[in-house]
Amino acid sequence: MDSIVILFISGLIGLFAGMQKKPLLSIIIASLGLVSAGVAAYFKGSYISPLSSYEAYVPTQGLIIILLCTVTLLAILGGYKRYAADNEHTGDYLALILFSLCGAVLMAQPNDLMLFFIGLEILSIPIYVLVGIEKGSSRSAEAAVKYFFTGSFASAIILFGIALLYGATGSFQLIEIQSNLAIGIWQSPMAIIGSLFLLAGFIFKIGAVPFHFWGPDVYDGASNAVLMYMATVVKIAGIYALVNVFGQVFRDSYGFWIDLVSLIIVLSMFYGYITAWKQTSFRRLIAYSSIANAGLMIFALADTHNSNLFLFVAAYAFATIALVVINSIVNDDTDSLVNWEGIAWRHPLIGIALVISLFSLAGIPPFAGFFGKFSLLWSAVPHVPYTAILALIASVIGAFVYLRLMMSALKKPTVVVRSPLSFEQILVLTLTSLAAIGALYFI
Amino acid sequence: MALILLPLVFGIIAWFVPGNISRIFGLIASTVTLAWSIIAVSYFEPSEHLLVDFGLRFVRFSIDSLGFTMVLLTNSVFFLVFLSNFNTSIVHEKRFTALALLMQFGLLGLFTTNTILGFYIFWELTLLPIFLILYWFGAFDKPRALLQFFLYTLVGSLAMLLSIIGLMHLTNQQTYDALLAADIQSLGNTSIFLMGGFLLAFAVKIPLFPFHTWQAETYTKAPTAGTMLLSAIMLKMALFGLLKWVLPIFDGNATDFWRWPVITLGLVGIIYGAVIAIRQQNLKTLFAYASLSHLGLIAAALMLQNEHTNLISVVQIVNHSIVSIGLFLAAGIIEERLGTQQLDQLGGIAKVAPRFGFWFAVLTFVSLSVPFTAGFIGEFFLIKALFSAHTFTGILASTTLVLGAVYMLKAYQVPMFGPTKINSFQDLHWSELAVFAILSIAAIYLGLAPQCITDFVAHSLTQPTH
Repeated sequence: MDSIVILFISGLIGLFAGMQKKPLLSIIIASLGLVSAGVAAYFKGSYISPLSSYEAYVPTQGLIIILLCTVTLLAILGGYKRYAADNEHTGDYLALILFSLCGAVLMAQPNDLMLFFIGLEILSIPIYVLVGIEKGSSRSAEAAVKYFFTGSFASAIILFGIALLYGATGSFQLIEIQSNLAIGIWQSPMAIIGSLFLLAGFIFKIGAVPFHFWGPDVYDGASNAVLMYMATVVKIAGIYALVNVFGQVFRDSYGFWIDLVSLIIVLSMFYGYITAWKQTSFRRLIAYSSIANAGLMIFALADTHNSNLFLFVAAYAFATIALVVINSIVNDDTDSLVNWEGIAWRHPLIGIALVISLFSLAGIPPFAGFFGKFSLLWSAVPHVPYTAILALIASVIGAFVYLRLMMSALKKPTVVVRSPLSFEQILVLTLTSLAAIGALYFI
Repeated sequence: MALILLPLVFGIIAWFVPGNISRIFGLIASTVTLAWSIIAVSYFEPSEHLLVDFGLRFVRFSIDSLGFTMVLLTNSVFFLVFLSNFNTSIVHEKRFTALALLMQFGLLGLFTTNTILGFYIFWELTLLPIFLILYWFGAFDKPRALLQFFLYTLVGSLAMLLSIIGLMHLTNQQTYDALLAADIQSLGNTSIFLMGGFLLAFAVKIPLFPFHTWQAETYTKAPTAGTMLLSAIMLKMALFGLLKWVLPIFDGNATDFWRWPVITLGLVGIIYGAVIAIRQQNLKTLFAYASLSHLGLIAAALMLQNEHTNLISVVQIVNHSIVSIGLFLAAGIIEERLGTQQLDQLGGIAKVAPRFGFWFAVLTFVSLSVPFTAGFIGEFFLIKALFSAHTFTGILASTTLVLGAVYMLKAYQVPMFGPTKINSFQDLHWSELAVFAILSIAAIYLGLAPQCITDFVAHSLTQPTH
């Protein structure tokens, strides 16, 4: 709770400080807020989860908050150049991001379905604004409207699912719902339909097949800076909410939904990676890659007792942020993969960060992505072995998507163009690369 | 510890070394690692295990005498690669030096790791540098061939990853010794599938017959240094994995199940590779198929799981490294100086460059396994082992000697003594001469005294495993 308060207050201060039209001041306030929220979460210590009997499953709430804050910090630093260019609104951008992060923190590990829903809305509404904040661009406006409609639709579905669950079990408290469902209520049609609605809403939010269609358009319309936040924090919060709400509450109907979830995993991975292969625009590629990665993340549902999702989402978030930062260097207005040719030669750090991030996303050791994928599969294999085999086949396709991007980026250009990096870009690229290598020590 | 980490440290430093001294840096770095490993081996008691632990949960190291042999082989190969390419343009690129040293680190890790997940991590770790080396310095017109190489390797290694996860789950063990002691037999048919995953990865790397299609084009288009690294040491990862990990661990019904399929594929590879090699006009492609033929023999013999054969196959592994460095160096020299490798455009080199003619001849004879070279010891005993398994397999395996003579003599005779088609040919540079000399001496020494390897390795291969 401390973290949410700190985030909210620093967002407010940032909002007023933004009136000074000094981007540096705004970013410093936002960074300080994020760091102190992370520190507060760390010193909160061992947080007793409301679902305390499953403590092994939920690492610690602190860890997830720290991850969310770190990823947001990297995202605002990586996008700082863009925010600062629009110095009238820098404060607004950063404040919106911090407010939205409050929702993410609230949503990632709720103990109450109402609280969860409020968190979801707090997370979503600032992002609708952020996507559409470029008033002049029609693509941005289109993306914002699309995102708003699909997002509201998903919220309505989730709300409907919550209502049905309330009808079936008579409670919003997760622990009560779980114990009520466990005594056999889960077989009642109301609870089953409620669970399906809830699942559909979650799939919508994290953007997995079959509710993925908003992803590419919205990612394409948003600016690189907003994309960094949207593609990572929203997904982390969404997947943790899915695992902590859906995975915990419906543990007793596991046999009922696991086949459906396996289907979603396999479809998302194949669809995401195969479609990503044909993309010509970087942001659309990242969108399809994130659909596939969302599929992989859902593997965490396969084992409802002991699943290590943390490493994978962290690896995914760091790698995605690094790639989008690199993209923002060549593709600020346009968004074509053609511009990626020879990009690694512009600065040594770009080359290093790019190779590491792409290999990390492709899941090749010794980078974080591999350990993340390994720990996900490790707990999933005994439960859904065939899904795991199909997922591995899909990741071969995925590896090729990333590899092709890498080959184009590493191609030696005839004339080497140097592009200097700003301090915060260097910081972000260095940190993400170090994190991707350093993951070796955390497994 | 320094034994494993030295190349990594050098590899990182190499990125910051100015381009004009990068070749000297590469040579010094590989010399230092080689010297360090020789010193380490002289202090090493062959019957012991050297444990190295960096405090990682899934990756730990334990070096036994087989591991040490492979470490020495790796370090020598890298030293020779840097030395032999001392005059080519590739070593002027610091990227090559750095990537090669990183790859050396991956290989050393693979040969010394003690945990099955560590084996996988290092297995994949070597892929990144070689991919970048091939991509940056190779002559791939289209990325298709390179992607094919990567696709095959990746499919194989993901199958292996699945097997590793399954193995770790089912046995609850991850270290080598614990896996040896685990009761794999009781898994029944599951162990056959698990072993199949490993074998798929190895079959792509070795390569065995139907999985070899990446090989010829990759070898031909790769820079000479890259081809040397691929054939002299990267393929040995798979044989090492088979020899040290898979066969002892899956000893029992899984090995019985896979024995004859693998031997059959190996034999098909021996004959198929040799027949295709005879028809090749491109020198590097010819040697690539020759490699397919030679490695098929080692893989087939390893499956017999005969203690003596295992020892001899280590000799043959070392011998194949010697031969492939030598032959690809020769092919690289011809390509670099004449710009072509097509046999029909070559001829009469020996008249212009007698020293090259002589040393290439020595390497050709080593490759032909004439007596008193390491190849003779290796092939003779491996074929003998295959004879004792079944007369028919022995007969098929021994065709490698006859067919090998056909393509090797052709590969030597046409460019060296054929009608003169070239104008000038710069004779060997001192560094190339040194490499050829070292290789020949090593091959002949091992041919006369193979027991220096077999006795050393015997400590880790003949211990009671069950």
